[in-house]
Amino acid sequence: MTLDPVDYAIISQALIAVAREMGVKLVRSAYSTVLREARDGSAALLDAHGNTIAQAELIPMQLGTIGHVFKACQELYPNDELVEGDFLIINDPFSGGQHLPDVFMFQPIFFERKVIAFAASVAHHIDIGGGDPGLNTAAPDVYAEGLIIPPLKLNMQRDWHGGAFERLLRANVRVPHQTMGDFDAQIAAIAIGRRRVVELVTRYGAAKVTAVMAALLDYSEARMRSAIREIPDGVYKGEDAVDDDGLTDVPLPVKVTVTVTGDEIDIDFAGTANQVRRNLNSPFASTVSTAVSVLKAVLTGPDIPFNAGAFRPIKVRAPKGSMLNPNHPAPVRARMEVCFRAWNATMKALSRVVPDKVIACGFDTTTVAVLSHLTEGSGWSVYLEIFGGGYGAAVDQDGCDAVDGPLSNCSNTPIEAVDQDFAFFRVLEYRLRPDSCGRGKLRGGLGLLRRYEILQERVRIALYSDRFRRSAEGLFGGESGATGYCQIERGDRIIELKSKDAFDLIKGDIVTLAVGGGGGYGRAGERPRPQIDDDLDDGIISPEFASNWK
Amino acid sequence: MSMRVGIEVGGTFTDLVAVDGNRIEVIKVPSTPANPEIGAFNSLSGAGVNPIAIDDLVHGSTIATNAILERKGAKVGFVTTAGFRDILFLQRHDRHNIYDVKYAKPALPLRRRDCFEVEERVDAAGRIVVPLDEAAVSGLLVPRLAQGGYGAVAICLLSAYSAPGHEARVKALIEAALPNVRVACSHEVVREFREFERAATTVLSAYVQPVIDRYLSRFEETLASADFDGDFSVMQSNGGRLPAAAMRRNSITALFSGPAAGVVGAVRQAERSGRLNLITFDMGGTSTDVSLVINGTPSVAPETQIDGLPVRTPVLDIVSVGAGGGSLVWIDDGGMLRVGPRSAGASPGPACYRRGGLAPTVTDAHVVRGTIRGDAFLGGTMQLDVDAAHRSFEAIAKQLNLSVKDAAAAAIRLAVANIVRAVQVVSTERGRDPRDYVLLPFGGAGPLIAAEVAEELGVQEILVPPNPGLISAFGLLAADYVRITSVTRRCPLDKDAASILRQEFARFRAEAEREFIALGLHGALSFDITAEMRFVGQAFEIPVEVDADRLAALKEADLAAEFSTAHRRIYFHGGEPGRKVEIVGVRFGVRRRLEKLPEFRERPSQLRGPAAVEVWTPSGPVKTKLIAAADLASHEVVKGAAMIEGYSSTLWVPPNWRAERDQSGNILMGRDHR
Repeated sequence: MTLDPVDYAIISQALIAVAREMGVKLVRSAYSTVLREARDGSAALLDAHGNTIAQAELIPMQLGTIGHVFKACQELYPNDELVEGDFLIINDPFSGGQHLPDVFMFQPIFFERKVIAFAASVAHHIDIGGGDPGLNTAAPDVYAEGLIIPPLKLNMQRDWHGGAFERLLRANVRVPHQTMGDFDAQIAAIAIGRRRVVELVTRYGAAKVTAVMAALLDYSEARMRSAIREIPDGVYKGEDAVDDDGLTDVPLPVKVTVTVTGDEIDIDFAGTANQVRRNLNSPFASTVSTAVSVLKAVLTGPDIPFNAGAFRPIKVRAPKGSMLNPNHPAPVRARMEVCFRAWNATMKALSRVVPDKVIACGFDTTTVAVLSHLTEGSGWSVYLEIFGGGYGAAVDQDGCDAVDGPLSNCSNTPIEAVDQDFAFFRVLEYRLRPDSCGRGKLRGGLGLLRRYEILQERVRIALYSDRFRRSAEGLFGGESGATGYCQIERGDRIIELKSKDAFDLIKGDIVTLAVGGGGGYGRAGERPRPQIDDDLDDGIISPEFASNWK
Repeated sequence: MSMRVGIEVGGTFTDLVAVDGNRIEVIKVPSTPANPEIGAFNSLSGAGVNPIAIDDLVHGSTIATNAILERKGAKVGFVTTAGFRDILFLQRHDRHNIYDVKYAKPALPLRRRDCFEVEERVDAAGRIVVPLDEAAVSGLLVPRLAQGGYGAVAICLLSAYSAPGHEARVKALIEAALPNVRVACSHEVVREFREFERAATTVLSAYVQPVIDRYLSRFEETLASADFDGDFSVMQSNGGRLPAAAMRRNSITALFSGPAAGVVGAVRQAERSGRLNLITFDMGGTSTDVSLVINGTPSVAPETQIDGLPVRTPVLDIVSVGAGGGSLVWIDDGGMLRVGPRSAGASPGPACYRRGGLAPTVTDAHVVRGTIRGDAFLGGTMQLDVDAAHRSFEAIAKQLNLSVKDAAAAAIRLAVANIVRAVQVVSTERGRDPRDYVLLPFGGAGPLIAAEVAEELGVQEILVPPNPGLISAFGLLAADYVRITSVTRRCPLDKDAASILRQEFARFRAEAEREFIALGLHGALSFDITAEMRFVGQAFEIPVEVDADRLAALKEADLAAEFSTAHRRIYFHGGEPGRKVEIVGVRFGVRRRLEKLPEFRERPSQLRGPAAVEVWTPSGPVKTKLIAAADLASHEVVKGAAMIEGYSSTLWVPPNWRAERDQSGNILMGRDHR
């Protein structure tokens, strides 16, 4: 059907608003810190074929792959076999999912007894079983990382609300109050999406809304193509590396070849390290999200709806058996680290052709720290916090200090909220790390540190991070940022933890977790002295660090 | 007789409404941003009002807002608990735009060098973990504050919402040593948990306070020199006013008072027609402010934002979207027609203003379709260039393969859609059906598209107050004296919860009564109580209102039922057995009601136009009656198509709509079924 341009504009903006409302409500009715504060979740509308139409923009990493995950479900359960109340659920990384904590749920939206769309939500659950509360750093395979949910068709009335599947799930998670509460938030987001789409279809008719969905895919595709066309044709290479796999000291290279041909782009991660024995592998869905996110961030304006159409001109490839496309049953829990290096490598490749649009490497690492405590009688208490670091500098701007990495967007938990919720530790310090920025004409962003005092026995820390050895490189002569570290003060002793580690703590231990800064942009000697002095006066850099700024 | 005057200083215009029994003066004069009081006094002389005759003067201004946006406040120092000096820079560790690789955090008006620590620590229960190092405060902190030349100091210590003793002590020590420095404590500004939000609010409060103080004293001096001896009060963002003396101590509540005044004026005026459930939309030059009103009471939100920074103070719950008369009409690089959020602002302004703007705006679209007449803008005081408006749409019309008039009509439909989405945010997204409400448009541009907004939402009735472009100034006169305070008081919803609420309320009530008497505000006070509740484990609270008269008999089960209903309305679930509920905080309001709402009528206009004009609608040109708003008598029915043209705004009555002025001066508009 032909689409009136105004109807098109109005209905498309309405669909985007629906996805946004779904995302807001997912976060606002959530229970766990990882969903409610870190906002590690997402929501989307899909068309009847499973193409993502609109998504709530919460976490870049989860955007873009909901459609891929859905395909695995749709192959098993075609639309004409679905009835009211059915929902599809999956977390299996080897059936299109990301990692086990990310559980995807889909519900068909019916209009006049026909499936016209799907409402979807995904949340990172704070605990989904597995070998350790919240995070099992020693997992040798995906089985040890938690409960695997293959693509399943369930029914809300029969299997949830006290039904068999809900009971099975509840029995397998350590903090059921939080995990099951977060599932309720996911279901609420989906219910809202269903209601709003039915309202829209009732108002405008199914044919018109369906036509707008198709047009919206074409629209994002057109805008992505026009952005790619701005880059000169050519082959551009970039490289970075993950520190190590947590078992050895060997760096794990990530290589990319970006080939631009007209309005299409091919991103090939050939040459990347083979999959590893610990959880640093990235399921292919996450690799795709990463590649597409770099292009969106560097090339396009913020208002392009991120949907399946935007991916059409982009091809992403990674060798099977590599860290970026591992074979079953590789553990994948800490996929973010290798994804961030893929982000850095791609950014470096693009720096040759769009130097004003890229930024230097930032700390660009997801640092997840879990403190857990088992008390007799009241069960597990699990605290999980996610740390970013300093951003890389740009041609016209210093890197942002102490902020979550570009593929993520997690908030911190207020210290006063931590004080209310956890009695087994106390936060002693939360501050910027002076001198952690990379020098340059423009400086990198600062890292940050937190210190925790452990107030009870039988507390355990689990941690994954990166850039404890290899710092964030500067660009065009800019210097590297500082590395991160985690250490425990026990009496007079200092115990250094590795970037991927777990450790039993005792009362009185002081844990310091520090993340590093971003790389500089341009030669340090070109920075005007007044700007250096300004940072000196603010204590962002020390006199010694300033005197070496040349 | 008693003369009451409201003066609202906005970015472009300063509005005045003066009411003395039956005499009503209404005027708009240009604002004077460098010295806003000049515009204010110009409005008085323009309206022929002598300050000596005024009994009650209420003032609203953008002075606090501008002081922050333009960074013109005091030099502020910040003091916090040792270990946490950087909380103002760490903020919440997230980005407001997730794909922006050149992201910069919103900046507070101070530097890291202005932030200091004191040794102390209190836990969430208010127990002292580390005692306050008073010697260091006096010996180290005070000299550094003195040396730094700070005009104001903001103190925010961890857990001070729970136990404010350390903050109070630090303040006393600083004040004793540095009597000229103003010190603001976080527990005085906002007694709620979440340290970044509380600290940011305290810093901003300390930052604007001297500016407001100076401005109000200048204003009072000028009034005094004109022998004014009436009451002088100032509008707040919570929809109430306070005597100027009180505002000089708690200035952060003056932020965004203008939109709040508009809502209050609209609500009070609608009450006269017996309409209590309203969706108000205030469409001005750059933005539209939308709010939902239930039973005559605008809802209150716990927080607002300025320049990306959180301001944790109770405000009227108003959602603002970048859709005003000046919003630009454009086509994006994917070929989609868009309206806003960028605006041509007051300068260069719409193309028809002839101030250098060439790009089409919503105002230009109205000129093209005929709902704004070029020689009737602002009562005919500002001539518009109709040809320029047409020319501005040519490029877009060509690209969309439409006529210029159809392109303008398309732009208006999109402007309508922008407002509809904002209305959905305050209604459907909160579980309220807009069809149950009366739509109340105001601002210069609201009545022009109210009918189209109503049609999209399925709203049956529209109420248009007199002088829709000056309703904020009327709102100043309509505002009660109000103070709203919130406190974090976390407790499980169990058998003791109601008595904890009663205790907290008794404490608030005693303080409020003392304060209002000290301010000279005698008479009966009424109280509002709102419990902020959530399921244990959640991080966002839902407000549950508690009737102060029912507090004595309040039971745990009443609160549980109310919370469950509210949660279900918004999130479609809640109240499942076994899920624990907690109270996180309580918000109390004290209100001394206005004795009598002043009269309000349409300003007479000398402007006369032709009897009929042509307006372009989606179904082609329509012959439209033209009526001067001041000439529309009570109970006179106008059938669309018609334009009811007033001094500050024009009401568009489309075909198949009818409008009627009621005895209170409001125009009620609905679909014409006959």
